[in-house]
Amino acid sequence: MISHMPPGLIMILAAFLLPVIPHVWRQIYMLGAIALSAYGLFLGAGTHLVWAVLGLDLILYQADALSLPFAIIFHLAAALNVIYSWHDRDWQQHCASLSYAGAAIAALHAGDLVSLFVWWEATAVTSVFLILASGTERARKAAMRYLLFQVTSGVLLLAGAAILASTSGDIRFTKMDLGDAATWLIFIAFGIKAAFPFLNGWLQDAYPEATPTGTVALSAFTTKLAIYALARGFPGTDILIWIGAAMTALPVFFAVIENDLRRVLAFSLNNQLGFMVVAVGIGTELALNGAVAHAFVHIIYKALLFMSMGAVLHQVGTIKASELGGLYKKMPFTMVCCIIGAMSISAFPLFSGFVAKSLTMSALGDAGIIWAYFVLLFASAGVLEHSGIKIPYFAFFAHDSKIETGEAPIGMRVAMGIAAFLCVGIGVFPSLLYSILPYAVDYHPYDAGHVTSQMQLLIFAMLAFVVLVRLKLYPPEIPSVVLNSDWFYRRLAPMVGLPLLRMVMLVWSGLLQQMRGLVNAIWDKLDRIMHSPLAGPTVSGRAVLIQAGLLTLLLLIAYAAAG
Amino acid sequence: MSTPSSKSPSDLQRLGGIFTKALLGIAIVLFGLEFFIHRHGVVSAEESFMFPALYGFLAFLFIVQVGKWLRLMIMRKEDYYD
Repeated sequence: MISHMPPGLIMILAAFLLPVIPHVWRQIYMLGAIALSAYGLFLGAGTHLVWAVLGLDLILYQADALSLPFAIIFHLAAALNVIYSWHDRDWQQHCASLSYAGAAIAALHAGDLVSLFVWWEATAVTSVFLILASGTERARKAAMRYLLFQVTSGVLLLAGAAILASTSGDIRFTKMDLGDAATWLIFIAFGIKAAFPFLNGWLQDAYPEATPTGTVALSAFTTKLAIYALARGFPGTDILIWIGAAMTALPVFFAVIENDLRRVLAFSLNNQLGFMVVAVGIGTELALNGAVAHAFVHIIYKALLFMSMGAVLHQVGTIKASELGGLYKKMPFTMVCCIIGAMSISAFPLFSGFVAKSLTMSALGDAGIIWAYFVLLFASAGVLEHSGIKIPYFAFFAHDSKIETGEAPIGMRVAMGIAAFLCVGIGVFPSLLYSILPYAVDYHPYDAGHVTSQMQLLIFAMLAFVVLVRLKLYPPEIPSVVLNSDWFYRRLAPMVGLPLLRMVMLVWSGLLQQMRGLVNAIWDKLDRIMHSPLAGPTVSGRAVLIQAGLLTLLLLIAYAAAG
Repeated sequence: MSTPSSKSPSDLQRLGGIFTKALLGIAIVLFGLEFFIHRHGVVSAEESFMFPALYGFLAFLFIVQVGKWLRLMIMRKEDYYD
């Protein structure tokens, strides 16, 4: 019975009981719910649950080779998050993160666009509580902006699905060709959640405002669900190569100058999504394997990096690079885990990022898209800069900030340890990862030429960093805000919109005043007529006069009609 | 407790020195390997001598420099949005 439920749904149902379960038992209970949900994956590929409603066949549980790797890593990320937040007694956050993960997993198994829409929106309304849980006014505002974007994405998806339903009657979620209004709407809906350029402001705006544990959960699901949706709906769509390449390159520059280290990671997350979007755009079997593999390992190392920065924030109370430094002695375990995450994301050989990113780079080379290949190579140096060096350097080294603190709670350390172990494990034994990819893989990342190429790129980029630091040319961290695409709606829109609105209101009130004057003038005239008629008795009131006027008009019309 | 904390800056400098030496060591090994290992490139330029090293080094300098310019344009005070 449970095995026929859509995976993830059981986690959402389980979340309802969380408020009444005492702390610690609550964490064990959540791990149990995640395990039960994962058990449902053993049903294997196929369509397992269809619900006919309102003349539509809603495919609630469909599994195949593409959904499986995402489902595995989503369950794993949910479990890691439970362990990471073991110390946390706030049941609201646990409720939000368990149902959020459940909604994302259920979305992976939606076989039609309407079911997908339901879970798509469910991820939005559950995850927003992880941002709200910070309890600050700043977080509340960011949460509202986040919700606005997420819900808009859902509405666009529903609009696209509705057009498809009315034109073709087919709402199954399969490969689409970008062309008509419906497919464009769906494409943009996916693009918002995948943080395409100029649609990405919500990510860097909201993720760093969530709680230390909340950001870890947020980093795993929404954006990777969008990558999954793109991989299913729009593989081989050329425009994705352009979009993805821009995504890999642009955030790199913002991350260099950002002071909030969790926001640096949010820019880095955007850059990583770019690699996956490019891979989906290439659309070959090797490339799609690359996209999925990258999403899989990315969830682990990005969670690890967010966990390490969350641990620092939890212990120190700030995550601003300008206030941190020298924590390597106070939090050595967190430092080691952070460096493992940093080496993974930078794609050092023997770490997970290398075995995944190699697939995409090889696919680009095979497809002969040289310009994109070099953009991604450039972006790889960028990843090293912001995630590989900047994050560990400013948190744990740089200068002695004289902060007195200790290691994070045991749950946080265990979760970081598991994630770090997986980063190295997958890097050393890539066949484990390759065995669950959508297409059969005959790929060997560890050939001498490939390894030396990658090591040259990384080591000499690091040497550039050392040269800059020694010559004091590396830009110091400054307490500041870096403007991003959210500036358009947080500053430009009010800057242009408010004066415009004020002008409209001014014209409107002027118009109303004129109308009022006109009405008064008419009444004055009527009063004069009533009190001093040309002939006959005076009229007793305005109403009588109006009635008399209307009757006269009626009489004239009747005469005209009769004539 | 004041003694260890006053030592920390020199500890960090020492660590920085070890890190730099290790990097230089690996860089020299990579330089040496370049004479023995044939690297496959997507284009022939990529197979030229120490190409990835040069690309990585210059890309890093470029990113940091553009970041500095970008700071002049898009960096604001912390309370900008408040």
